[in-house]
Amino acid sequence: MSTVAETATTPTRRRRRVDGWRWAGRIFLALMLFYTAVPMIWMLLTSIKSGFAAMQLPPQWWPAEPTLASYQKLLDPTNSVGADFLRFFWNSLFVSTLTTILGLIVAVPAAYAFSRFTFPGRNFLFFSVLLRNMFPAVIFLIPLFILMRWVGLVNTHGSLVITYLTFGLPLAIWLLKGFYDNIPIQLEQAARIDGATRFQAFVLIVMPLSVPGIIATAIYSFIGAWNEYIYAYTFLSKNEQLTLPAGIQRFFSENTTDFPGLMAASFMMSVPVVVLFLVLQRYFVRALTEGAVKH
Amino acid sequence: MARVVLKDLVKTYGVFNAVNNVSLTVNDGEFVALVGPSGCGKTTTLNLVSGLIPITSGDIVIGDRVVNDLDPKDRDIAMVFQNYALYPQKSVYKNLAFPLQMRKLPREEIDRKVKEAARVLDMSHLLERKPRELSGGQQQRVALGRALVRDPAVFLMDEPLSNLDAKLRVQMRSEIKRFHQDLKATIIYVTHDQLEAVTMADKMAVMNGGYLQQYDTPAQVFAHPVNMFVASFVGSPAMSLIPLEASTANGNTVLTSAEGWSLPLSPLNARKVQKATTRKVVLGARHSTIKLHKNAVPGAIPAKAYTVEPTGDVTFVQAFLSGAIVNISVPPNVAVAPDQQIWLEFDQDRMHLFDGETEMAVKAD
Repeated sequence: MSTVAETATTPTRRRRRVDGWRWAGRIFLALMLFYTAVPMIWMLLTSIKSGFAAMQLPPQWWPAEPTLASYQKLLDPTNSVGADFLRFFWNSLFVSTLTTILGLIVAVPAAYAFSRFTFPGRNFLFFSVLLRNMFPAVIFLIPLFILMRWVGLVNTHGSLVITYLTFGLPLAIWLLKGFYDNIPIQLEQAARIDGATRFQAFVLIVMPLSVPGIIATAIYSFIGAWNEYIYAYTFLSKNEQLTLPAGIQRFFSENTTDFPGLMAASFMMSVPVVVLFLVLQRYFVRALTEGAVKH
Repeated sequence: MARVVLKDLVKTYGVFNAVNNVSLTVNDGEFVALVGPSGCGKTTTLNLVSGLIPITSGDIVIGDRVVNDLDPKDRDIAMVFQNYALYPQKSVYKNLAFPLQMRKLPREEIDRKVKEAARVLDMSHLLERKPRELSGGQQQRVALGRALVRDPAVFLMDEPLSNLDAKLRVQMRSEIKRFHQDLKATIIYVTHDQLEAVTMADKMAVMNGGYLQQYDTPAQVFAHPVNMFVASFVGSPAMSLIPLEASTANGNTVLTSAEGWSLPLSPLNARKVQKATTRKVVLGARHSTIKLHKNAVPGAIPAKAYTVEPTGDVTFVQAFLSGAIVNISVPPNVAVAPDQQIWLEFDQDRMHLFDGETEMAVKAD
């Protein structure tokens, strides 16, 4: 009898205690959600107001006359604002994609080498790769600008791609090395015994398994390049070359600021990143090496 | 199938010698077990044969070719890994087909061979599954299938059973043995479990500290261990090793213990003891060669039972002699209590004598 009573009460008591923590967690998450989502929502709401409604005090919490005029203006290549916006968008896309692809081309073999091979200076190289990340990026702004001017890369997208690679590669290599470390070396050994060359073993067996890592790294370096402002603003001065973060600030002007236009542009700037996440997120959740080896 | 010859094989890592001058010949169709405690160099030796790690010096011959500098893929070997190393993104079918695809076999032939291997290993119904959807025993079978699908010159197996539970291990043990008998395959099999080596292999190579200790049939290794390491490693429970000192009493050679008792020796054993480099001699005796008496018997050594372990078939009694643990097996109907006074009689024909300095078995001639 006593055991029955115990088993009956113990779970409820335990569950109640967990509930308390769970509610604390929920409240915390709700606050975090509020903190992150409200600016986004406000951005979206402002972008569909008229210029006058956006400036009202007290604010219109919900736009009285919602309008897509700002979006139409931005996406219309025939008017000057739209032409500029689309050009900036294209520039950003070009610079970010190029940075990502070049970064992966270097980071994938580098990370694999750091993970699998022992060679003289391996540790020194690996930690020197991280050295750059110990300093804030702005410190390098003036030196890099002087360097870029010296090699004649100022006002080219190449200057940005090189700079973003400098900053993005070390972490990309670290990130990918972690993924390769988690792929059992026996898989490659098995492949090599089964008739593959070292390179085939990498391409046919290891590469498919490191897809989540490669995608995570790609997203990381794409977002880094997509959002970067200070270098783009410093290295580029010609209107037709600006990237989005540098270009969007042209919505601010001395006398009037087109807040709905600014917010619409900001919103559209965040779209590619969100889409990228949604499309690729399924690769994160799957543990691809499951079932490969028995521990 | 082919024979494998290792000649003065050496592998060093910096100043550490993982494998020291190992030489042995695995004949065509032979099942050889490399056995030893962890860190003894057995897996390194296997990896040298596979080509996964380069040799420092020596020669490896597979068939008629010296393969020292060949890539693993060109050595015509197949390997079963301890953790199976199945390709997780591929189905069982594709796992089995991979070695054949790498050799650019026609599609129909691949299909035929994969299905044949699956039939032999009784896993035709699993071909479409991914490795993660299989049980441990099934994964093990796939690993075995991936090795045999290609009909290689040599099979290398690196502790293939050590990740299975005890029951499955015994079952797979007999399956691998059967597999060897049916295929007449040359197999080099690494294990730390001497029982696996003894039960499965035609020959066993006992290794320790990177050195090959003894290479012979399990029966020979069991009956005539060359040194104290092999003696204590092979057989379960381990051979009892009792440190004693040789002396002469009334013109006869006897072994005396610091505890005061002495053991007379047969003429043959006496001759052996005289060949030792030192007066220190270690007496080795397996549990089944020691007779337990409950009363004093001439020639028997007095001792006290320490623990008694009934296993059902036999009961193991442990006692201390000269500071060493001695294992004795008795029929289950013999009742012995802990701390009971017992007398131990050693079988002169089946006892082992080792040189106390060199730890080598001493021989009469």
